[in-house]
Amino acid sequence: MTTATAPSDRSGISRLWNTTGITRLRREGAVAPITAFLAFFLVYVIINPGLLTRFQLQTAGNLVVPLALAALGQLIIVLVGGIDISIGAIMSLANVVFATAMVSLPVPLAILAGIAAGLACGLFNGYLVAYLRLPAIAVTLASAFIIGSISREVMDRPGGGITPEFYLATSGELLPYLPISIFWLAIIATGMWFVLQRTALGRHIYGVGSNIDSVAAAGLNAKRAQLAAFALSSVVVSLGAIMLAGSTITGDPRSGDSYLLSSIAAVALAGASFTGGRGSIIGTILAACTLGLVGSLLFFAGINSYWQYVISALIVISVVGIPVIWKRLYLALRKAHA
Amino acid sequence: MTTTSSSPETHNGAFDPPTAGTAPSSDRRPGRFARILSRMPRSAWPLLVFALLFLIGGLIRPNLLSLDSLIGTATFAMILAIASFGQTAAVIQGGIDLSVPNTIAFSALSYLTLIGPLGPVGGFIGALAAGTVIGIINGTIVAKLGLTPIVTTIAMNGLLFGVVLLTFKNSELTVIPQFLTDITATKIDVFGLSVAAVLPLGLVLMVILQLVLSYTGWGRSLFLVGSAPETAKLAGQPVDRIRIAGYALSSFLAAFSGIIIVGFYAQASATMGAEYLLGSVAAVLVGGASIAGGRGSMIGTLGGALVLGQVATLVAVANLGSNIQQLIYGVIVLIVIALYARRGRD
Repeated sequence: MTTATAPSDRSGISRLWNTTGITRLRREGAVAPITAFLAFFLVYVIINPGLLTRFQLQTAGNLVVPLALAALGQLIIVLVGGIDISIGAIMSLANVVFATAMVSLPVPLAILAGIAAGLACGLFNGYLVAYLRLPAIAVTLASAFIIGSISREVMDRPGGGITPEFYLATSGELLPYLPISIFWLAIIATGMWFVLQRTALGRHIYGVGSNIDSVAAAGLNAKRAQLAAFALSSVVVSLGAIMLAGSTITGDPRSGDSYLLSSIAAVALAGASFTGGRGSIIGTILAACTLGLVGSLLFFAGINSYWQYVISALIVISVVGIPVIWKRLYLALRKAHA
Repeated sequence: MTTTSSSPETHNGAFDPPTAGTAPSSDRRPGRFARILSRMPRSAWPLLVFALLFLIGGLIRPNLLSLDSLIGTATFAMILAIASFGQTAAVIQGGIDLSVPNTIAFSALSYLTLIGPLGPVGGFIGALAAGTVIGIINGTIVAKLGLTPIVTTIAMNGLLFGVVLLTFKNSELTVIPQFLTDITATKIDVFGLSVAAVLPLGLVLMVILQLVLSYTGWGRSLFLVGSAPETAKLAGQPVDRIRIAGYALSSFLAAFSGIIIVGFYAQASATMGAEYLLGSVAAVLVGGASIAGGRGSMIGTLGGALVLGQVATLVAVANLGSNIQQLIYGVIVLIVIALYARRGRD
């Protein structure tokens, strides 16, 4: 890519790019998903201007936030070069433990119980992957069976003690036109951004995904970084499970199932590299928003909502695939030109 | 089937202290027993474990130690095995096929739809062709666009779910043609035993597939592409085409299993494949395949399915419920990958 065509007047523009963070976003592969989201949002608002009413914003927020958190959890695992098949099961377990704890415990303790349950799963996966060096996909496949089974033992049918007050606290409105779910998502995502970008541990997580041997050779504790990634991921996923419990006002041992495939799809749409080391938080959130709202867009457009599965798949394949084709064409053209 | 022929072996059975062996990272010589074990082909392990579980079942409840019980478990396991043969091919060439569940549903429902215009056999061929096209699309996206197999096949799985829901009116599709019942559920006589036709059918399929994998150039190339794609490319192998063919085989077999499942259980629905998402990967892994590619066998996958099937039988007998069965499946997969990883590292 580095050719002799480097004009000197580029520095000013590139500095502008850098200060706006666009270079970062490009490098993280987030430009395509952000563009896709903006296009999608535009189409959505044209078809259904009612989205911008208070009630619909709140509904859309409640729909999207658990998926966004599941996708962020998946993103952290993908950053260290793994993949988490058990993410749906972790979500189910945190969901039912939280809902069960709400029956007897005060809210903060119930939240802690839900997070602790998820964290235990994350540490279990992380220990096996980091310290026993087992492949993440196989470990999490096995733990998906185990964790899913445990969550159905905790609660065999939907229920639990989630109160209407908790619904308002997680899924109501903070301010008019500002759903509180979006507010919580912003807080969690910012926290995650801080850990990943502003702490040594976070940089190690990115490093492990780029090149685990270099990280280890540099004398850093690569295993601990991997374990920490699984732990952090499971906490984010558990928070998603608690948000889901709040918005549906129930705990459900199967509530996480559908998030396995959609979280991976969202991370793919976000342009993250599945070999690790590259992926954007904002891209992932917007990718989750896009995929989460396809169904309701079709509903408002009067199209059979079964189309959402087809359209989501096509969005993922084309947003991820088009840049690849584009690059191939570009390289081929340059070769022909030279 | 190319197991452990690399190390030069001394058959005199000497138990010398480790003076002669100066190989790095071996501070203890394996004993005779360990060496016999290490020479056993991987695919024999799951079969051995199955036999052990079968005997344990007999200890718990003597009437489980019967031919009827064996046939019952084997029939159940064979259905899972047939659904997992395609996954085996996908895993061997270094990928994974998470579109198996909805390929199963899609092919089952297209079969039931196609028998109207095309007849039972024509529908069979049509549904298999449709399945193969799915695999070719998967393979092309993975090989040519460079998308991750997981993402590609998940997207395909979602797309097929939409297609299934949009295309088929499931309630109208419950008439199973006699032809299909005959090759799956009908009891036939094999060596004086009455077994469901799906059992010999699956065995024949397994033998054919294993022969193709082990003894044809194309079969061997799947292993090569799975274990060392760069080397394969340098050796002039058409890696992309081999990959695409691997996914096509995977989807073809998933489509085949879809038709078999609908024939055996005599019912079809949009979610009929759901349990095979994790189930097929579990059977393949328990069967000794490496999730990283380059290793696996059809016999092993059948063995894996038999282990899972026998666990299901034991759990049912002990009245523990399907939930505990899932838990045990998970533990088994975990033990298996831990053991294989340890062996692979030595």
